[in-house]
Amino acid sequence: MIPTLSSPVKSDAVVENQQALKVENVWKKYGSNQALRGTSFSVMAGERLALLGPNGAGKTTLIRTMCGRVRPDSGRVLLFDRPIHEPNVLQQMGVIPQDLAIYADLTARENLECFGRLHGLRSKRLKDRVDWALDWIGLTDRASDLTSKFSGGMKRRVNIACGVLHKPRVLLLDEPTVGVDPQSRQRIFDMLDELHLQGTSIVLTTHHLDEAEQRSDRIVIVDHGQVIAEGELSELIANTTGTHRLVTMDISGLMVAAPVGVRWDQERNRYLASVDDVAEELPQILDRIRSVGGLVKDLEVHQPNLHDVFLYLTGKELRE
Amino acid sequence: MIWTVVQTSWRRLKNNRSELVLTFVVPILFFSIFAVIFGSRDASSTTPKIKIVVCDEQKSPLSTRSMERLLEQKSLRITNKGSGDTIAVITRSQAEDLVRRGMASAAIVFPKMDANAEQADAPKIEVLSDSFDQVASQVMTAVVQRSVLTAQAEIAKERQAAIQASNPVVLVSGVSSSTNSPVDGQVISGSTIGSMSANANSVLEPKMASMPEVVNVDLMGGKKTNPVVAMYAAGIAVMFLLFSATTASGSLLEERENSTLDRLLCSRLTMDQLLLGKWTYLTIIGCIQMVLMFTWGSLVFKIDVLRHWEGFAAMTLVTAGASSSFALLLASLCKSRMQLGWVSTIVILSMSALGGSMVPRYLMSETIQKVGLCTFNAWALEGFNKVFWRELPLDQIGSELGVLTGCGALFIVLARVFAIRWERT
Repeated sequence: MIPTLSSPVKSDAVVENQQALKVENVWKKYGSNQALRGTSFSVMAGERLALLGPNGAGKTTLIRTMCGRVRPDSGRVLLFDRPIHEPNVLQQMGVIPQDLAIYADLTARENLECFGRLHGLRSKRLKDRVDWALDWIGLTDRASDLTSKFSGGMKRRVNIACGVLHKPRVLLLDEPTVGVDPQSRQRIFDMLDELHLQGTSIVLTTHHLDEAEQRSDRIVIVDHGQVIAEGELSELIANTTGTHRLVTMDISGLMVAAPVGVRWDQERNRYLASVDDVAEELPQILDRIRSVGGLVKDLEVHQPNLHDVFLYLTGKELRE
Repeated sequence: MIWTVVQTSWRRLKNNRSELVLTFVVPILFFSIFAVIFGSRDASSTTPKIKIVVCDEQKSPLSTRSMERLLEQKSLRITNKGSGDTIAVITRSQAEDLVRRGMASAAIVFPKMDANAEQADAPKIEVLSDSFDQVASQVMTAVVQRSVLTAQAEIAKERQAAIQASNPVVLVSGVSSSTNSPVDGQVISGSTIGSMSANANSVLEPKMASMPEVVNVDLMGGKKTNPVVAMYAAGIAVMFLLFSATTASGSLLEERENSTLDRLLCSRLTMDQLLLGKWTYLTIIGCIQMVLMFTWGSLVFKIDVLRHWEGFAAMTLVTAGASSSFALLLASLCKSRMQLGWVSTIVILSMSALGGSMVPRYLMSETIQKVGLCTFNAWALEGFNKVFWRELPLDQIGSELGVLTGCGALFIVLARVFAIRWERT
């Protein structure tokens, strides 16, 4: 049976409640710019974590610190309880940069062999892993083509495969789907789901909030170099915008008085109402509007989502 | 429309600092370099002097005097000159050795005179030259001839004065007066007077000196099938070795620009291993380039590579190694591949101009020649010249091998130091 995303069957190798990656009170300053201000969070084994933040929030510095490419001024990063800078610790991590960090003048197989060797794979094991990766990314038939001839989505898949050949237990992905079409994006997330089901912890930064909502178990929001919120989506919503639905209505007719629980929103040019239980409260609101002479031409019930949480916490759109 | 294209192109140029430098600064820079190299040739203080050694096996008044005159020549630098105006005595074989090793451009030898030769015979002088310096060998013949002729004239004049002093014969109105002259009151016939006058002139006028015979012996180039190609092959090879190495070292910057460096350094690879890997690759490619070039030179231009394979292999290895280190140093100093492009163009062309890859160093002023020694092109070229031109054994190119190895080691260490900023940003 193929497990569904909502009920993944994880590998036995995953030890429950084990901290895979721990970022402890990390500070980093570039000149006068304090990029990280005591950032702390952790990723559990087998967990999918989305790391969100507006531009300039310190995400890139954080990612680079987590993979050991930036040495923090203070604080530390632990990978399975060992400092990231200790020898061989990084072998348990796979890093997928936002840029296409592959050699365009090598074939797909040559790229995979190169990065496989650099991660210590040799002979038969290397060949097996390369064959697996080519199959995993669906490029077995294009293995001997130069990656410069590939489409954007195909290049992205090779880019990801190069980071997972050595079977890392934690995978850092910095905007893995930037600039790819929806089909390729879906394909990439299917690949990541497969890794997740095998027990790999996944840390993902993305500008697509729907990706973060659908493809992560927990969300960390960073702004001004600090973690400003973390938790499951439902927790974030409950702790920020609240769980009530927002009803937006287009009302015609001359109402003799404003219905109870309905307010005019100048910005949206619509009437708004908040409801906790749609089935019970919405009919009552509609009745009240009718009773004062109004006629609801259209309405929309908006369920609070990550976008609302993000806007609530940072005051900015994710892309700002 | 056309004006829009012009305007856009100009704005793009204006916003691209490296292209601006290449377009407007580099030509002026190279004009200045070549102006310094050649422009100073008129200034007497920096005019290149021809380094020579002088060997006097003749020990005759003429050879001694000729050497004195040679000492006065401003265009010559006599390397076996002792203190004051003395000249250290060396044998012909020593002089030959100095020329062969490149310590002197030519040797002037006054050979032993044949026992039967008369003083009045044309003096024979040998100029043992190294035709690597094509100017020196031609200039030397004329300079030697002039010095010997001057010496001959001086000697003749002195001899005449000496004879006059020891045989004071005065001819006054056709009457001679001397210690052997007839006593006063003696009647001298006209024929006697004529005979005495003729004798006096024969004593006063020494035999006319013959023109010196200057024999030019090419010690170096004579046996070579294609000496000019052997001479310039190294110059071109070293320059292109540098260009190709810096181009290839740009991959380091490309990897940094597209985050591949992050990925590489997140693997088991360390920066030390990465740099050494790049250095090894660049050195191997450099060696292959040199082998291909000299193989082609051997097949088409008859450069004798096989006979000098030991020296060629050693010089190729250290030159390729030093070029690779230098290329990696340049890459580690630059921020982008584009910057590396224009920096390397300027640096390599400057080094090649000063180091002798473009113009033989013997044509440069002495000051520029000394400055040129700061470039490793000069050492590489000297090494290759010693191998192919002077045909010296491996132990005779130790200084060049040492300098190039030292440069290579220093450059790669510096490259490693500058690469620290890429390791942990």
